[in-house]
Amino acid sequence: MVERTVVVRNRAGLHTRPAAMIVKRAAQFASDIYLESDDHMRINAKSIIGVMTLAAAQGTTLKLIVSGPDEEQAADAIAELFETGFGEPL
Amino acid sequence: MPPSSLMLADLEPLRKEAIAVRTLLEAPLKLVSLNEQVGWDNLISDENVHRPQLALAGFLELFTSHRLQVMGNTEVYYLRSLGTSDRVRAFRGIVERKVPAIILTNGHQLDPELCALATEYNVALLQTPFETTRTVHILSEFLGDQFAPHVVVHGSFVDVYGVGVLFIGRSGIGKSEIALDLVERGHRLVADDVVILTRKRDAILMGTGSSLIEHVVEVRGLGVIDVRQMFGIRAIRYQKRLEIVVELQDWNPSEDYERIGLDDSTVEILGIAISSVKLPIFPGKNITVIAEVIALNYLLKTYGYNAARELADKLEREISRRVQQPSATHDQRMVTYFQGDDE
Repeated sequence: MVERTVVVRNRAGLHTRPAAMIVKRAAQFASDIYLESDDHMRINAKSIIGVMTLAAAQGTTLKLIVSGPDEEQAADAIAELFETGFGEPL
Repeated sequence: MPPSSLMLADLEPLRKEAIAVRTLLEAPLKLVSLNEQVGWDNLISDENVHRPQLALAGFLELFTSHRLQVMGNTEVYYLRSLGTSDRVRAFRGIVERKVPAIILTNGHQLDPELCALATEYNVALLQTPFETTRTVHILSEFLGDQFAPHVVVHGSFVDVYGVGVLFIGRSGIGKSEIALDLVERGHRLVADDVVILTRKRDAILMGTGSSLIEHVVEVRGLGVIDVRQMFGIRAIRYQKRLEIVVELQDWNPSEDYERIGLDDSTVEILGIAISSVKLPIFPGKNITVIAEVIALNYLLKTYGYNAARELADKLEREISRRVQQPSATHDQRMVTYFQGDDE
């Protein structure tokens, strides 16, 4: 299992488009991928409704938890999306 | 290019070269023959109609004689105003140019010698009770449809809650079975396997089946069945406007399937953009129910409610609320407090 801390860097936060980017990226991996907010809401990162439920604004810190055969690559891929602000203004 | 566009974009549009005069009897004009059905096999090759006013007056250059001719009050009263020999000469000038048919509006009659002349030159003489403007309008609409470009598509076309849904996909993926399943649930089959789509008013596509096949469906391993005989009149309809194309695909993990539905994807058929949905299928997936949901969601959007849009907007409002009140706790539950009874 891999655990990382990711931060929502883009100005608009985790709105619909970034949420869709996360689930589409997550769906490409075999591992189970979760995102957890600091109020311990843990959601499946392959579920669009789940990711939207986080309603994470800019600056929010989330825990990325990945477990499975390709956990390192999956964690890298999802973390990179957060890092680059989903291609949106930071 | 998405596969669905590939499948549909390559379709060669078809167009009728000509229709027989007898086809006009299908138009809602209450047409009757004034010369014993002479000329009913004449061909009309132009969707425009012509009023032969100047031709009757003797100006026969540029006379579009291959068109259907419509004679209203002007033409009839003009002919009546002439002496017999002039009248015959004027009318002969038209019929000897082999016009396919002449339609008299307002229930007008022609003198017996003019009728005989039409018969002599094998010109169909038809009469309608409607007035000229209305006749021309109906004829334009009718001929426009007859000469409209159309394509033949391999798929199943079903009316689902009043929404015209066309299922396409590789042979054997289960299009016919989905159509049958939908019929079983109370929806109406338009056509299976051979769907003919015709462009109407350059704006919409109307679909129907072939006159030979009607509502016969092939079920793999069983043979052909007649849906109308088996399920009754409620299970079929003859025509439907095409509103959604559902492309059935074998599940492909690397394919990017729609997750939100904010962007409407479309396919172009005969230059008309039609909403499209790419649907991955795998064993145990109930496509029929999804097809119903697709139709209902289309209706909701048509009536002004877009669930994806609403949710996206709500999420953005929630994010900005959290930006403004970072310290406020946010309740995740839909129900803040389970009050009162324990039901």
